[in-house]
Amino acid sequence: MKVLIVEDEKTLAYEMEDFLKKAFYICDLAHNIKDGLDKIEANSYDFILLDLGLPDGDGLTLLPKAKKHNPDAAYIILTARGNLEDRIAGLDLGADDYLPKPFSLLELQSRMQAIARRKFNVKEELLALGTFNLDLQKRLIFFQENQIELSRKEFDLLSYLFLHANRVLTRMQLSEHIWGTFADDDYDSNYIDAHIKNIRKKLNAWAPTDFLETVRGVGYRIKK
Amino acid sequence: MKLSSKLILFITGSKLAVVLLFIISLPFLVDGIVSEYTNYSLRRQQDKVINIVHKNGINHYLQGDASYGSYTMLKEEYIALEPDSLNLHIDTIKVAQRLVEKDTLTYRILIHTFQYKQKNYLLEIGKTTSSINQYNKPLQRIALYVLMGLIALSLLFDLVFTRILIQPLGKIISSKLINRKFPFKDHSPPVQTSTYDFKYLDESLILLMDQINEAFEKEREFTANASHELMTPISILQNKMENLIDDEELSDAAIMRIVEMMKTLNRLKKISSALLLISRIENEQFAKSDAAKPIDLVNEVIEEIDHRLEEKKLSISAQLEPQVILAGINKDLLFQLFYNLINNAIKYNVENGSIHISNTFSAQNGYAIILSDTGIGISAEELPFIFDRFRKTNLSENVGHGLGLSIVKSIGLYHNIDIQVKSKPGTGTTFTLTFPAALYKKMD
Repeated sequence: MKVLIVEDEKTLAYEMEDFLKKAFYICDLAHNIKDGLDKIEANSYDFILLDLGLPDGDGLTLLPKAKKHNPDAAYIILTARGNLEDRIAGLDLGADDYLPKPFSLLELQSRMQAIARRKFNVKEELLALGTFNLDLQKRLIFFQENQIELSRKEFDLLSYLFLHANRVLTRMQLSEHIWGTFADDDYDSNYIDAHIKNIRKKLNAWAPTDFLETVRGVGYRIKK
Repeated sequence: MKLSSKLILFITGSKLAVVLLFIISLPFLVDGIVSEYTNYSLRRQQDKVINIVHKNGINHYLQGDASYGSYTMLKEEYIALEPDSLNLHIDTIKVAQRLVEKDTLTYRILIHTFQYKQKNYLLEIGKTTSSINQYNKPLQRIALYVLMGLIALSLLFDLVFTRILIQPLGKIISSKLINRKFPFKDHSPPVQTSTYDFKYLDESLILLMDQINEAFEKEREFTANASHELMTPISILQNKMENLIDDEELSDAAIMRIVEMMKTLNRLKKISSALLLISRIENEQFAKSDAAKPIDLVNEVIEEIDHRLEEKKLSISAQLEPQVILAGINKDLLFQLFYNLINNAIKYNVENGSIHISNTFSAQNGYAIILSDTGIGISAEELPFIFDRFRKTNLSENVGHGLGLSIVKSIGLYHNIDIQVKSKPGTGTTFTLTFPAALYKKMD
């Protein structure tokens, strides 16, 4: 999938590019509105990540023009302004999602995947997780034909690890994904551990869960 | 005591003192004047008698007798003339008793000796003291009445005038000070007065409030800008670390360090976000157009947070009226308010403690939600400061960024929700949220 990152903070843009490339996205960068428009007119993108505070104007002004050329792209607004009006205006102009800075790159990717599932109608068969099968759209997990009951948070946790397979996710990253801004300040708490323990217990009843690794002192990882 | 009451008291008191002084001194005053006047008139009579004696000769009166005496019919006055055989040389005025035709009466008597044709004579002119003093009483009474009338009149004038005089002060107090809530956004017009001092006071108050507002605005702007500007560098650092931690060449030790750095960065992020949230609330950037039942909000919070209850084996009960609906609120903010309060109730609770959430209706105070916990409590010295930014009551534990209650306060202020705290160290803390009448409805 092709992504255009319109972001004037170059360091930030490079980090995003770095991360997304690893996740097999093809990235273009633009650091201002003009540059962004040129690229949008010339290419066709699946995702356009748009910062609002750009040197030559408000990123929101780019949105309607960009939509003309790239009506099928998914637009995600990234901004440090965090104003409610920006969010509403952005969504009114047809943005698909809104991520306030500072955001986690993991969160960005997971949002992109969610939009992809929804918007591009990706026919997702069941995804294999060891000997288990995941249905991310319906949020279900199966062992053969048997559906396994996971709580909402347990499924969130497992699918987040699954989306970022082969990557160690820290307890903090995991709890931020699950509880958002309400994640506890006490990072050494064992809420995540307790959830993982429950997931393992529930899955182990059907088959081994060696794919779900504990990385000592850091967090958890799903190996694929 | 109010200035007007003080002035009324002082004016009335001072006038009463004057009246009292007058009443006490009046008899002496009148007696003094009357006796002076009597002495004067006795001397004049003496002069007249001596003149007449010189004109008519002494024998015209004595007519051969040893002495001459004359008195009025009621014996109020008498004159006596006799030769002074003892050569006394007296000239005095005294009060003495005289026997006049079988009646012994008290007189004020002038006794005077004078020479006439080489012979000494003794003249006595007397006036009864009762006739002298007969006007004292009515005189005193009339003087008293007149005085009282005048005092009453001046008292009335004084009171009316002071009232008019200090009226602008009352206006200044009621329009500038009473029920004014910070920030002072509503500008009340200057109070009209010709008294310079009041004008100065009023202008100074207006100026001071403007200055406070300006300083507050600046602080707000600074907080918003500073926390906003911090977001981009935090963003860069966070994303760099996220990419870095995935580097497979890194040693375990390096990864652990990055994890620590990420935790620290996250703390910075939370502080900035909290400050930004507070300044956004203060800038009124949140729409207040939602409606929600408090019971739903509280239950949502409990659902979100219940994993933390288990850790300390806390029990929580929320007994809220399901018929109450809050309207004209921002749901996210109220969620945050309840979240922060319940989160604190958990954070500062003890093992096997409890949290109780209930509500009350009263005709006086309206709808109130009460959150009480069995936590460690807050000492009386700390209690006034718990809503201040970066204040932490118990530093020995990891208690977060110290902005949770500041956020609660901002949200409360923004919605006009009155927040009261009571706490007893070792027993627990109770927060009472009283909602303004405009904010809640009770459905039937």
